[in-house]
Order: sequence, then structure tokens, then C-alpha cells
Amino acid sequence: MTELGKIIQETKAYYCLECGICTGSCPISRYDSTYSPRLMVERALLLPEANTIEDEHVWSCLTCGTCGSRCPSAIEYRGFTRLVRDVARGRGLEGVCTHAGTIQAMMELQTTNLFEKDLSWIGEDLKVSKTGEYYYFIGCLPQFEAIFKELHFDGKEHARSTIKVLNRLGIEPVVSSQEKCCGHDFYWSGQFEGFKELARYNLEVIKKSKADKIVFSCPEGYAAFKQIYPELFGKLKFEVLHITELIAAKIKKGGFDLGEVGCKVTYQDPCRLGRFSGIYEEPREILKSIPGLELIEMPRNRKEAVCCGSSTWINCSRVNKRIQLERLKEAQKTGAEILITACPKCKIHLSCALKDNDLDEKVEIKDLNVLLAESLGGKDIA
Amino acid sequence: MLDVGRHPNINMLAYSEVKEVNGEVGNFTVKINKKARYVKEEVCNACGDCIAKCPMKKVPDEFDMKLRNRKAIYLYFSQGIPAIATIDKEHCIYFQTGKCRVCEKFCQKGAIDFEQQDQTLNLNVGAVILATGFDLLDPSGLTQYGYGRIKNVITGLEYERLINATGPTGGHLLRRSDEKSAKRVAYLQCIGSRDLNNCSYCSHVCCMYSIKDAMLAKEHDPDSVSYIFHTDLRNVGKWFQKYEIRGKEEYGINFIRGRVAEITEDEEQNPIVWYEDTNTHEVRSRTVDMVVLATAAIPSKGIKELAKLVGVKTDEYGFIKTGLPFPTDTSVAGVFACGFCIAPADIPESVAQASAAASRAAEVVFARKAKKRA
Repeated sequence: MTELGKIIQETKAYYCLECGICTGSCPISRYDSTYSPRLMVERALLLPEANTIEDEHVWSCLTCGTCGSRCPSAIEYRGFTRLVRDVARGRGLEGVCTHAGTIQAMMELQTTNLFEKDLSWIGEDLKVSKTGEYYYFIGCLPQFEAIFKELHFDGKEHARSTIKVLNRLGIEPVVSSQEKCCGHDFYWSGQFEGFKELARYNLEVIKKSKADKIVFSCPEGYAAFKQIYPELFGKLKFEVLHITELIAAKIKKGGFDLGEVGCKVTYQDPCRLGRFSGIYEEPREILKSIPGLELIEMPRNRKEAVCCGSSTWINCSRVNKRIQLERLKEAQKTGAEILITACPKCKIHLSCALKDNDLDEKVEIKDLNVLLAESLGGKDIA
Repeated sequence: MLDVGRHPNINMLAYSEVKEVNGEVGNFTVKINKKARYVKEEVCNACGDCIAKCPMKKVPDEFDMKLRNRKAIYLYFSQGIPAIATIDKEHCIYFQTGKCRVCEKFCQKGAIDFEQQDQTLNLNVGAVILATGFDLLDPSGLTQYGYGRIKNVITGLEYERLINATGPTGGHLLRRSDEKSAKRVAYLQCIGSRDLNNCSYCSHVCCMYSIKDAMLAKEHDPDSVSYIFHTDLRNVGKWFQKYEIRGKEEYGINFIRGRVAEITEDEEQNPIVWYEDTNTHEVRSRTVDMVVLATAAIPSKGIKELAKLVGVKTDEYGFIKTGLPFPTDTSVAGVFACGFCIAPADIPESVAQASAAASRAAEVVFARKAKKRA
């Protein structure tokens, strides 16, 4: 059996009814008539292997999972894409790296011993520890701040806000300068070996911290640890939590009082938190518990939310920008002043599109944890 | 239906519920709760005076898919058999507050009986036939279609009530959002059917009824334009293919091969359907006045409890399990099933199954009689 044949067996792509739901759902296909998940599968089933493996469109998929969540044959197209990318990369092929490959280089660098995180920015006002029950996985936030300066991406503020929220929950999280990239983007862009290496290293760091609960603010890290790590290493010895799960549980119990923030907001469901992990209600419960805040939903929300338009730092083009612009317009139409994101990638990608001249109004984009930290500090942001 | 109502050998127990089934083939005892209608069945002639005068006007009409309200005293539907009015105790002003009795005052036959009680009946029967029909999947869970959120997205059954002369709009195809007549209508097939995440089976009847629906729309309004979005049209059988061709040629129905991926809405509350036309490979959107969802047929509510009462097995989907070589035989001897409670089937097929089940039941009953005589 060919490598592609194995992928078809594994993903049960042969169940395809050719109904077109995937292509009709795909955010890329809507603006790029040459890209079609359905035809990718059809070609894989009917044509010689090279037609699929060497197709540059393999690198266009956002792995957002919209098609898979609607596919009547339950074909996980994102999984199909990932496996094809693995094979393609093995044959020396790759997509067009965005940002001149800076981010790929940063990820590669972390597979070596040359990398250590600077944590001095956390500051004295926040409480963190070396060992303890909870570990906060900071992820790439500080690095992204350095790379996306021109977008005013405040990654360190995301992380500081998360620590502030954790402190208010009575948690002094362990943070480590030794942790590395979670490997999420390696996994989804066909660099499985690199992913395994990072995962193994991270598990070692967490083991040393003696933590039995690991908290994420980034949905990609969360999804990687929650869904992919156990596939490789079996059941993990610690609990994997997204910060919104912790906060929502505390709000339900009572005793987590947020300060007034008088504004209208709308919420962007990140693919990795929503469709991948089924966390739709927690962020909404948190937002609704902020006094004075009004949450207005975009028409396409929760399972039907549109991807922020770019993923794994590959193949970002005009098509991706159009997805983002349409999404921003959808957010603006709600009448919200702020678009709340719960994923640093959503924030980066949508902030990039916000620079477009086509937009008459500019909605403000804010990270959920930054909003919460402001609400806790009683600062009026309206 | 009328024939059943008139047949001297058929004793119809409507508004009744099976409570227990005991015994075995040839000798079952069936305990039935005959619910109180608070109307004397042998007296009521369904003249409708009570309904006209009943002051409780705001009960959502289940038969009309809650598209209009009915009174607290009502006939389930105008051609229903037996034609006897029923008081819905939960909504009746007299039962709820102790005052009213308007229906009693206006009933010229004296048929109203507020003292009526539920009756328990024990029937001794030789065989049992299950024919409980089906329900439709609630499409609100399939959020991509916006049912419940987008007002002009309705289900096939709601459409049936709208286009029906006795329905809430008197047969006019009016939009839920603005009561304007719908000219451009999209009919979406396989909503939850042939879907491994919902109902993996084909619901069997949707392709045909959607063509019928589109034809009706054209007959009501020659300007109407119809689009049927489908996976593959499953118009199987002797005359069905011909019907599809007629739909295309005489009624100008546009058949589009491609399941609709999602529905959005414009400022005028027009639904916009997004789809890939799989013949041309193009992703398109089409703005219409109304969308009709052909939702999956599912086992009827209560079938699980009934199956448990009778002791029959159900299949992986929850339909009554039957098998070969006798397609209407259930897992219990003397208990038979027919129609949609076994699996989706159209009317001719259901009628054939009903005949088959009746014949199998007759075999059992006559064998018992013969035995008694011997």
C-alpha cells in the first residue's frame, strides 16, 4: 500500500459521498476557487499519489475543522491534511513560510539546547513559584511579542494578565524558563519528529515542577497537551486545564468578583478551544459575569465560528486576508466596541487584517485575560 | 382513515395509552388507559360551537407545528377520526381556576362532562400490531442551518402546514419574518439524514416530498422559483423518476447537486445558502426568500417505552427490530410491526407492510380459534 493509501485507510476518506459540504464550508474555498477539500479527497482516491502529495494546496488548509465538524461521512479532513503534510515534508516539500520563516526558525531553535526563556518581565507584583500544584504554560507569548511589534501584540501582557487572574484564584503558578514550544504548529505542519522531541522535553520540565495541574491561556498549547500528547505518551500524569475552565468553575462556586467594565463586546471562538475542545460556554459565562459588559454574538458563533484565517505560519495570502476582513466586518456589524479573543494567534492574525484600508471602522481586539485583569484591577476601559 | 372509523369490526381507541402488555402469542392482555376528554364521545357531533366560544385562545397548536394557536377545547385536526372535541386540561380555564364552563353552556348536545375520569380497559387479544409512525429530527442542533435563529428557515412539516389550505395561512406561502409571500424557495435535502454524526440512514421520503412541495409552490404562485439541493436524488421505483423529470420540465425546479454547507442571513432576513455545486466545482451563495429543511425521520417519541412494555427489541437507531423472512415479525411471537416504526418507508410501502402485518396477525388469531374449536 502507498503512503497515501494508508492515510486514506486511517482517515476513512473512502467514505466520502462527494456531497460538497466540506468545500461549501471551507473558509479558503470561499475566496480561492482553486482550493477544494472535496476535490483533494477525490484526487487522493482516484489519481496517482503524487497528485495529492505534491499539490501545493496541501499547505492551504487552515486545519480549522469546520468541514470535519459538518462532514456527513465523519471524515476528519484536518487529520487527512496533517498526514499528507507529513509525507510531503518527508519528500522535501513544504508550504510558503510566512514572516520569512522567522517563526519556523524559532521553533527549530527550541529543539536544540540553545534556548531558555527570559521570565524577568513577570515582575515582582505577581506571585509565581518554582514547584507547586499548578503549572502555567506560558508558551510562545513573549516570543510573539518580539516578532509582532508592529502589530502592538502584547504577548507578555497576556501572560501577566493570566498570572494575575490565577493569583486572584488563589493560585501561585509554577512558571519555568526551561519550557519550550508546545509543538502544536510542528504537528499540524507535518513535522512530527520535531513535535515529538518538544513534547518529550516539555513533559520532563513539568515532571520536575511536581505540578499535577497544568494551566494554559493559549488554546493551541491546551489542545496539543489535551489531545495530542496522550496519543503519543498515553494518559498524562497531570490534569490539563484551560484558564477559562478554572475561572468559570470558580464563578459558578461564587467568590470571584469582577469589576465593572462598561462596554459591548463580541467573542471570537478559537478553533482549538471551540471545535477542537468543545469549550464554548466557559468564556461566555466569564464575559457575562463582568458587570456592565454586554456580550453580543456574531451570527456565526460556537461550532460555526469562522477561523481567524491563518494557521501554522504557512501559506498566508490575499485569500487569508479576505477571510479575516469578512470576520472583522461580521464582528463590527454586531455593534460591539471590542472583539474578545481567547487565543494569541486569533489576536495576531485579526490585528494584522485590521490594518486594511477597506475597513471603515476599526473594532478593538483584546485578549480575554487582559480584559479580566483590567476588570479585576477595577480599571475602567470603556 | 375514514374506512377504519366506519368499519364494524374495528374498535378505535384514540386518545388512549398502552400501559401493560402481558401474556403470549394468541392470548395477550393489554391494559389501556383511555384518557378523559371531558366530552362524551357518544354524544359529541363535532359541530365546533364549543371551540368557537372557548375563551382560552393561546394554546400553541401541535398539529399546525405551533404556527398558530388553538383553543383549550379542540379537535386535533379537522379531518381527524374520531371527530370528537377534547378539553386540554392543562390549558382549560375551568380546570385551572375553577371558573368558566363556557363550552358546557354553548354545547347544544350536552356533551361536556367535567366529571369524566380516565378509564382503564383490559383487552384480551390474540396478536398485537405496532404502527406508531415517526418523528422528525429537531434541526436546531445543526446550528449551521440556523433553524430557530433565522426566521425564514423552516422544516418540511412547517412548510406543509403553510401550503395547506386548512393551515394557518390558508395555503399561502408566507414568510415567518414579515408575512410576505415567498417567491424563491430552497429545499435542502439530507438534514441529519445520511449523516454518520446524526442519522446514518436515508430518510427515504424527502426527495419525493420536496419535489412535491416545489410543485405545490409553483401551482400556488406561477412566479415562484424552486431550488432543490441534494446529495443524490433517491427517487427510486417505477414512477418516481418520472416525477422528478416532470418537476424539472413542467415546473422548472432547479436541481442542484451539492449539500448546503451553511445558511446566513441578509438585512431583509432573507436566508443565504452557501454550497458547492459539485457538478461545476464552484462554491456559491444564493439568496432566497425561504429555506425548507428536509429533516431526518427518527423513531417516534415514546417508542422506547412502548418497546419495553411489549418486550420487543429495537435496532441500533431505535426503530422496532424486525427481520427476514417475515419483515413485519418482531422479536416477540404474536407481535408485529409495520410502517415507519420499523424504518423509513413511503406510503405505498407502509400500506403493503400493514397488509402483511394484518395477515400475519390473522394467522395467529385464526390458529387460536381453530384450536379452541377442536
